[in-house]
Amino acid sequence: MKALVFALAVLLTGCATHQQAKTDLSAFNAAKPRSILVVPAANKSLDVDAPNYLLTTLTVPLAEKGYYVFPVHTAKTVLEQEGFFDGDQVQKQPPEMLAQLFGADAVLFVTINRWDAQYAVLATTVTVDFDYRLVYKDGTEIWKANKKMQYSPQQQNTGSALGNLIASAITAAMERAKPNYLPLAQSANVQVLAAGPTAIPDGPYRTTN
Amino acid sequence: MRLVYATLCALALTGCATNKGLYEWGGYDAVLYNSYKDPTTVVGNMQKLELHIQKLEQGKQKVPPGMYADLGTMYLQAGDKAKATAYFAKERDAWPESAGLMNALINNGTMPKAKEAKS
Repeated sequence: MKALVFALAVLLTGCATHQQAKTDLSAFNAAKPRSILVVPAANKSLDVDAPNYLLTTLTVPLAEKGYYVFPVHTAKTVLEQEGFFDGDQVQKQPPEMLAQLFGADAVLFVTINRWDAQYAVLATTVTVDFDYRLVYKDGTEIWKANKKMQYSPQQQNTGSALGNLIASAITAAMERAKPNYLPLAQSANVQVLAAGPTAIPDGPYRTTN
Repeated sequence: MRLVYATLCALALTGCATNKGLYEWGGYDAVLYNSYKDPTTVVGNMQKLELHIQKLEQGKQKVPPGMYADLGTMYLQAGDKAKATAYFAKERDAWPESAGLMNALINNGTMPKAKEAKS
C-alpha cells in the first residue's frame, strides 16, 4: 500500500509543467557534488518523532537523482556517538566539519516547520512544511528550497477524471492509515528535489535522462 | 482497487522518462521507518533487507547507496560485529564515496570519532 501511495506521489508530481521561476543553480553546478550527507532534521513541530520519520524519506529521491547518499541510519548513529542526539544540535555544527567527518561533498539540512494533523468535523488536514538547505563542503550554500504540502480528503475535485481517481486513491490510503505523514513527506521531497522549478541537477550516477 | 493498480501501472510505465528508477529499493525506507516507529520489529526488518540485498546480488543488480551500510549498522547495534564489518566492506566496494567512513567503521569496530575527540 505504501508503495502505491509513493507511486501516486511520483506520478502526480513527475510530469508537472514548470512555470515558476527556476532556482539559481550556478553555485550547485560549480560545486558539482557527487555525494550528499543527510543529517537529522531540526524540528520546530510538536511531533518528536518527525525527524526520524523524515530521515527515512530523503535517501530515495536523492539517490534516484544520481547522487551517492550516505547511509542515513549509520550517519545518525555516528552523530549520536559524537554526542549529537538531536537535529537541532547537529544543524548548529559547521557544515565543513560535518562534511569532513563523513567525507561528504555536500550536506543536506532540513528544518521541519510543520508536521501536524488538524481534525475537523468533516475532514482531517495533514500538513508538512520543510526548509531544505544544501551546503557544499567548503561552507558555500549551493541550493535551498521550501515545500509545504497539505492533504485533506475534501480536495478531491482536481478538474480531471484521472486526477480525481488518483486523489480518491490517496484519500482511501491515507484514511486507512490514520494520520500518515510519510506519503506527504515523500511527495514533498520528490517535488522539491526532482520536479518543478526547485529541482536539483542530475548527479553522476544518472548519466542518461 | 485492482483497476486502480492497473491504471497506475500503465501510467508508471508510460509516464515520464525521468521517473525511470535507478535502483530497486525493496522497502528500504519502510524498513528504517518501521524500525524507528516500533523497535520490536528491527530483527524482522533486518531479515527483510538482507533478503532483498541477496536478491539484488543474485540478479547482478546494483545495491542502492547506503543499504549495505545501514544493514551493517543494524547488525552492529545487535552485537554482530563480524556481519557488520562484512556489510561495511560491501558498501565501500560498491560505492567509493563511502570509503573514508566505511574504513573508519571497519577499523574502529565501532564508529569513527571526530578529529577533536582524538588524542
